[in-house]
Amino acid sequence: MPNMPSTFHTCEREKLFLHPSSKKFGVPELQRLVKPHIESFNSLLEPPTRGILHYAVDDIGVVEIADVPHNSPEKGNILKVWIEEVLIGKPLLPENARGVKTRQIYPSECRERMTTYAGKMMIKFCWQVNDEPPNTDTKSMGFIPIMIKSNRCNLQYFYSKQMIQHHEESEEMGGYFIINGIEKIIRLLLIQRRNYPMALLRPSFANRGTSYTEYGVSIRCARQDQTTMTNTLHYLKDGNCMLRFVWRKQEYIVPVIFFLKSLVEINDKGIYEMLMLGDFENTFMSDRVEHMLQEFKAHDVKSREQSLTLLGEKFRVIIGLPSHYSNKQVGEYVIKKVLLVHLTNFQDKFDLLIFMIRKLYSFVVGNCCPDNPDSPQNQEVLLGGHLYGMIIKEKLADYLNGIKAQILMDLNAKKTVNFKDKKYLSTTFNKSNSDIGKKLAYFLATGNLVSNTGLDLMQTTGYTIIAEKLNFFRYISHFRCVHRGSFFAELKTTTVRKLLPESWGFICPVHTPDGTPCGLLNHLSYSCRVITSQLNVNKIPLLLSEFGISVKPPINGKDKICVQLDGKILGWCSSKHAQSIADRLRILKIEEKIPIDIEIGFIPPSNGGQYPGIYIFSSSGRMMRPVKFLANGKTDMVGSFEQVYMNIACLQEDIVKGTTTHQEFSPTNILSILANLTPFSDYNQSPRNMYQCQMAKQTMGTPATALTHRTDNKLYRLQTGQTPIVRPELHNTLGLDGFPNGTNAIVAVVSYTCYDMEDAMIINKSSHERGFGYGTIYKSEIVNLEKFRKLGDPIQHHFGLGADASPHWREKLDDDGLPFIGIKITYGDPLCAYIDETKGITKVTKYKGLEDAYVDQVRLLGDDLGKIEVQKIHIKLRIPRPSVIGDKFSSRHGQKGILSRLWPQTDMPFTESGMQPDIIINPHAFPSRMTIGMFVESLAGKCGALFGIAQDCTPFKFNEEYTAIDYFGEQLLRAGYNYHGNEPMYSGITGEEFHADIYIGVVFYQRLRHMVSDKWQVRSTGPVHNLTMQPIGGRKKSGGVRFGEMERDSLLAHGMSFCLQDRLMNCSDYSQCHLCRKCGSIFTSLSLKTHHTINSNYTYKKHHIQCDICDTARWITLVKIPYAFRYLATELASMGIKIVLDTET
Amino acid sequence: MLFLTTVGFEPTHVSISDPESDPLDLSGTSPVLLLIKPTMDTYTGAIKPEIKIDELTSERVKFILTNTDLSMANALRRIMISEVATIAIDIVEFELNTSVLADEFIAHRLGLIPLDSTEAEKIKYSRECSCQGACKECSVELNLHVRCTEEDTTKDVTSRDLVSNDPRFTPIQDGPKDPGILIAKLRKGQEIKVKCIAKKGVAKEHAKWSPCAAVAFEYDPFNKLRHVHYWIEEDEKKEWPASKNAEKDFPPGEDEGKYIFNNKLTLFDFTAKPNRFYFEVETIGSMKPEDIVMNAFKKLLEKISSVQMGLTTNDISITGRDQPREF
Repeated sequence: MPNMPSTFHTCEREKLFLHPSSKKFGVPELQRLVKPHIESFNSLLEPPTRGILHYAVDDIGVVEIADVPHNSPEKGNILKVWIEEVLIGKPLLPENARGVKTRQIYPSECRERMTTYAGKMMIKFCWQVNDEPPNTDTKSMGFIPIMIKSNRCNLQYFYSKQMIQHHEESEEMGGYFIINGIEKIIRLLLIQRRNYPMALLRPSFANRGTSYTEYGVSIRCARQDQTTMTNTLHYLKDGNCMLRFVWRKQEYIVPVIFFLKSLVEINDKGIYEMLMLGDFENTFMSDRVEHMLQEFKAHDVKSREQSLTLLGEKFRVIIGLPSHYSNKQVGEYVIKKVLLVHLTNFQDKFDLLIFMIRKLYSFVVGNCCPDNPDSPQNQEVLLGGHLYGMIIKEKLADYLNGIKAQILMDLNAKKTVNFKDKKYLSTTFNKSNSDIGKKLAYFLATGNLVSNTGLDLMQTTGYTIIAEKLNFFRYISHFRCVHRGSFFAELKTTTVRKLLPESWGFICPVHTPDGTPCGLLNHLSYSCRVITSQLNVNKIPLLLSEFGISVKPPINGKDKICVQLDGKILGWCSSKHAQSIADRLRILKIEEKIPIDIEIGFIPPSNGGQYPGIYIFSSSGRMMRPVKFLANGKTDMVGSFEQVYMNIACLQEDIVKGTTTHQEFSPTNILSILANLTPFSDYNQSPRNMYQCQMAKQTMGTPATALTHRTDNKLYRLQTGQTPIVRPELHNTLGLDGFPNGTNAIVAVVSYTCYDMEDAMIINKSSHERGFGYGTIYKSEIVNLEKFRKLGDPIQHHFGLGADASPHWREKLDDDGLPFIGIKITYGDPLCAYIDETKGITKVTKYKGLEDAYVDQVRLLGDDLGKIEVQKIHIKLRIPRPSVIGDKFSSRHGQKGILSRLWPQTDMPFTESGMQPDIIINPHAFPSRMTIGMFVESLAGKCGALFGIAQDCTPFKFNEEYTAIDYFGEQLLRAGYNYHGNEPMYSGITGEEFHADIYIGVVFYQRLRHMVSDKWQVRSTGPVHNLTMQPIGGRKKSGGVRFGEMERDSLLAHGMSFCLQDRLMNCSDYSQCHLCRKCGSIFTSLSLKTHHTINSNYTYKKHHIQCDICDTARWITLVKIPYAFRYLATELASMGIKIVLDTET
Repeated sequence: MLFLTTVGFEPTHVSISDPESDPLDLSGTSPVLLLIKPTMDTYTGAIKPEIKIDELTSERVKFILTNTDLSMANALRRIMISEVATIAIDIVEFELNTSVLADEFIAHRLGLIPLDSTEAEKIKYSRECSCQGACKECSVELNLHVRCTEEDTTKDVTSRDLVSNDPRFTPIQDGPKDPGILIAKLRKGQEIKVKCIAKKGVAKEHAKWSPCAAVAFEYDPFNKLRHVHYWIEEDEKKEWPASKNAEKDFPPGEDEGKYIFNNKLTLFDFTAKPNRFYFEVETIGSMKPEDIVMNAFKKLLEKISSVQMGLTTNDISITGRDQPREF
C-alpha cells in the first residue's frame, strides 16, 4: 500500500501558535517559494563590494564633458564625472522625527499609514577637472522602495516571534514592495536565454529589406550587472551576414565582416579559414564566405585600425563622446558597448561571432533546425531584483548625462561655464534630477517602464502587480507566476501559448488561466528553483582542458563540436568524446566539486537537429529543479536547457536500463502549488483542474492572520473556515492550516426538488443558520483633510464635532469627530466629522455604500515627522456577508454552483443514521465533466470523518493495483457503511425511502468571492444618456440592463408587440414631436405665438405650431417617436440627407 | 400511552406463519414472516401503536415505534427536529467588546449555546406575550462579563461565564468538571460585557432552537418492501453491511421471493406497508432525550386535534371558504 499520512498535526500547530520561535520559522518551506524575489533584490548590493549595482556603476563609467561647444576646434577643459559607489540604507525615520522610540520603520507601519517602505539611496559621486585631483561627495538620490525581507529591510533576520511583535504574519515571506500602503510585486518574466546564440526562423526578418531572409541567429548578451544587449545576425539572400543591434531604441545594421576585422588583426584569408574550419568540401558555405569577403572589398578596409576608424566615424554622432576622442577610440567604445557585451576580451568576441556565423550558415543550409524561442529550453526568468537594478543603473546614468546636458545647455545659452568654479559645479550637479527614489516608486506603483534605452525588453507596461491578499492561495501564487510578456498577449498566433514538453517540471501544465492570458501567464512548478546569482566557474576551463578539449580552433572542423561556458568559447572536442566530457562534468557537479546549479547542456550531433555543442551555463535567472541521479541516489539539479537531452524517468517502471540516468523524486513535482492541492487531481478531466486553480484563487478564505494590522482596500474573510479532512501532504508542508479556505460539507449527490438543476445547489437552512459559509468583507474608507488645504497654508480643518452638530450625528460620532467602534453605519450616515475653521461649522463625510456596515477600526494617520496635527484617518468597515441565494460555491474540482435555495432541515433527505446533507448537488454535474476526483474525495472525506483522521489525497498515489476505491471502500465497510459510499436515504417530506441509494460523503467546499450583493442590478427609471435619452448602462450609475437584439428577437418571435413597445419605446427614449404630414419633416414645425382676443379686457397667448416650409398649420400632427430616431434624423440632416416620414391614419 | 389511531392497514396478507407464536420472538429459527400482523382491522379494535424503548441514556434514546403509518412516524421525526420548543439566546446587547472577534460573530456563537430547556413549557412565546419586547414571562436574561487580566496566557470565555437571572434556564453543564462551551478567547486587557435575552422558539425559525442533534430513522432494514434498489457491484452481502436495526427486525424467511398474489407467484408483497420504525434521538443537551420525544408527541397531538377541531366545527362550509382565513 502507498504511504498515507493521516494526522492533522493539531498539537504541533498549537505549539507553534503558542510559542512562536525566535530562531526559525514554523513553515520554512514557504520561505523557499519566495526566495527568487528576495535573493535577486539582495544581489543588488551583495556581496558588499561586488553587487550588481557596483558592476552597473563600473559599466556606466566616466562621463566626460568639455567646456567648449561640440564642434569647436579647441580641446577646452574636461570635466569628468562618475559614480564610485552606491549605498542603500534601511528604512529609517529622519533624524528630526519627534517622539519616536526607534528610528526604524517597519513594513506594518507603512501598510497602516499608507506610505512607501523606502530606504535612502546615497551615491559616492566623483568629479575631476582635467588632471587635477578628483573630488568626492556623497549625494542623496532619494528614498528608494525596499523589498520586504531583503538585506535592506528591517525584518531581514526576524523569525516568527519577532515578526509577530512587529505586526507581521508569523510566517511572513516578504518579496514585495510597499508603495503607498499597497503591496506590489515585480512580475517574473520569461525571456530569451542569455549568452546562447539561437537560430531563429522569423518571416518578419525578411521584411527588413529586399535582400533579407527569414533566417537569423540571435544572442542576448548579459553584462555582469544583468543588463543585456541583443545582437542578431541576419542572413541575406546573396549569402552576406549583417549584424543588427539596438542602441537607445534605435536599430543599426552593420556588415558582420566590419566587426570581425575590427576585433582582431586578421586578413581575409584568416577569416575564411576561421569560418570554414577546414571543411572546404562545403561549397555552400565557401561560396558565401567568399562572396561576403569580396563584397566587403568595396569598403577598402584592410587593417584593424582602418576598420575601427571607419566604425568610429560612422557612430561618432550617435555615441556622443567628446571631440578629443579619436575615431578609433570611438570604434573601440562601440564594440565594447554594443557587440557581444557579455565578453570583454576582443578575441573571445571574435570567436563567438565566428561561431554564430557558422551556425547561421549551417541553419540556412538545413544542417540544423531553428531554436524555438517559445520553449523553456531557450528561456530564462527575468527576476524582479535584476530588473530593479537595471532601472537603477539607467537612472544613475541618466543623472550623469543630465549633468552633461545641463552644461551643454549652458554652453548653448552662452552662459559662463567655469569648471574651476566650485559653486557653478555644485549648482549644476544639483540641477540634474537626482530623485531616483520617486522614479522607482512610480515604476512600482504603475508598472510602467520609463526608459530611453528600453532595457532590451519588449514591453513598457505591466511589470508590476498588486499582491492581492484575497486568500492565501492567491497571494502565494503571485510569487510563483511567470509571464511571457505583454508583447505576446497581442500576438494573433497561439504558438507562444502552447504547452511544450520542454516545460516538464519547470512550468506547471495545469495552472494557467483560461481566456486571454492562457498559456502566457504560467506558474512555476512546485520544485522549480530560479538561480539568482552567478556561480563560481573558475575551475571549469582547467577541468575541461584536463578532460582533453583543445583550446585552439581545430584545423579540421568536421566532427568537432564547440564547448562554451556562458557564451564564451572554451575549446573544441571531437563529437565522440563530447558525451564522456559532459558525463564527467555531471559527476563532478553531483559530487559538488563544482557548483551543483551549473547546467551542462550537451546537444549531440544529429541530422538536422539542434546545432551541436556543449553549452555550459552558470548565470542567474535559469530555472533548475532537483531530480534523483540514479547511479548514487544523490540529488542533481537539472536545468531547462540540458533536460531536453537527458533521460529522466518519472516512475520506477519508466526506467530503461542503460539509458535512464535520472528519476523524478515525485511525479507531483511538475505541478504548481495550487495544482498540487487539488485532491486526487489525477482522477479528474484535466480542464477541471485548471478551473480549480482559478477558483482556489477566488475563494473567500483567510487572507492573513494579522488582520488587525491590515488596511487593504477590500478583504474577504471566511469566518467559519476549517481544515480540509482530505488534503495532500503539501498542505502540511506549507502550513496551510494557518489559512483555512473552506468548509467540510456533507454532500449528497441527488436530484431533489429541482432546485439543484443546472449547477445550482441546495444548502441546508439549518447548516446556514449554524454558520456555514459565513463571510465578512472589510473595506477601507480614507478621509483626508489635506485635500482642502493648499501647500503651505495653515491647517483649517480639524477632526471634531462642534456644538452645531446635529443630534443625529451624535448617535454615530463621538466628540472627536470619529465614529464609535462597533457602530452600525447605513447609507448616508456620517463617517466622521470635522470642523471648518474658516466658516466655523461642522461638516461630515458620509458613508456612500449601499450595504450596512460596522465600524471595525479607526486609525489616525500622521506624517513622517509627527509634527502636524492629524489630517488623515482610515476607517475600516466590516460588512457581514452571510451566504444568500445567488452566492457562488465550489468544490475543489472545478465544480462551481450557485446557491439556489436554503432548504429547511426537516425537508432535507436523511440517511438511516439521521445524517442530513449540508449541500445537495445534482448528479448531472458529473457525466460530462468527469470529475471523478470529487467522488473519491467524497469517499475519503466520509471515512476520514468517521475515523477522525486526515486523508492524504496527493495525486498519483494509487494505481491499478491499489485503487483508491478499494482503499476507502474498506474503511467505509469497517465503519459499517456501504463499500461504494452509497447510503439509502429517506425523503424528509414523506419519510419514504428513496428508490435509489444516494452517494453521500464529505467534500471540502469553497465559498467564492462572487456574491449577488455585489452584482444585482435593477432599475425602473433612472438616469438617461443626454444625447440619445436612452437609459445608461452600468451598475454603479444605477443604469439598466441592455435589452439587446436577441432579446428583441425573442419578443418578436412570441408576437409580444405590446411588451416590445413598452420595453424599447415607452420605458426607453419615448418622445413626442410635431410632424408636418405634407412635407414629412419633423424639423420644420415652428411654434408661433399668436394673440387671440376673446373680448376687450381679456387676452391670452396661444402657441400656434405651423410648418415653416408649407407655411400652414393644417398638416401638423403630434407623433410619438423614439428620441434616438430624432437624433438620427438630425445627424443625417447635418450631412444633407432628408428624412421624409409618411403617416397613416 | 398513546391515543392515536392509525389508518390504512388492509388485511390483504395471507401468512403462512403460525398465528400463535409471538411475533417479537426472533430467537427461534422458525420461518416466521410477520411484516404485518395478520387480520388487522384498524376500524374494528385496531392494534394500538406501540413504543419499545431499547436504550435510554442522558444523551440519546433508541426506540421502536410499531403499528403506525409511515406518515405518522415521519411527522414525529419532523416535529422532534423542528417544532419542539426550547430556549435560546435571541438578542445580544453589546456593552463592551474588545476581543478580536466581531460583535455579530460572538452573538451568533452565543445563540447556538444550548440552554437548559426542560421547563420551556412554563414560559411564553414572546410573540404571545402581552409585554413590549421582553419580560420575565417570555424571556430570560443572561449576562456575560469577562475581562482578561492574565499576563501570558489567553483567557477562555465559556458558557460557564453566562449568568442567568432565572435558575431554570441556564447554559447546560455536564457536571462540575465540564469546562463549558468556548465562546471566545481574550488576551490581557480585552473584555467582553454583554446582556443576552433568551427566548422560547422552535427550530423552524432558527436552528439554534433545535433540541436534537440528529434523529436516526429507519424502517425495513432487510428491504423486504423493496423500497430501495441497492446498487451492487458484485456481492450485496459484502458491499452492504447490515444496519444495526436489522438485529431487531425479522429477517426474510425461506419463502422470500415466493409470495403468492392472485394465485400468481410474485417476488414480494408490493401492497405491504412499513409499520415498524427504528428511531434514535440524540439531544444537544438542552433537553432530556425522552422529553424531546414526549414533547414531540404532545405537539403532534395538538396538531391532529386542531385538524379534528377544524373538521368538527361548522365554520367551514363545504363549498368553500366564506371568510378569509386569518393568520
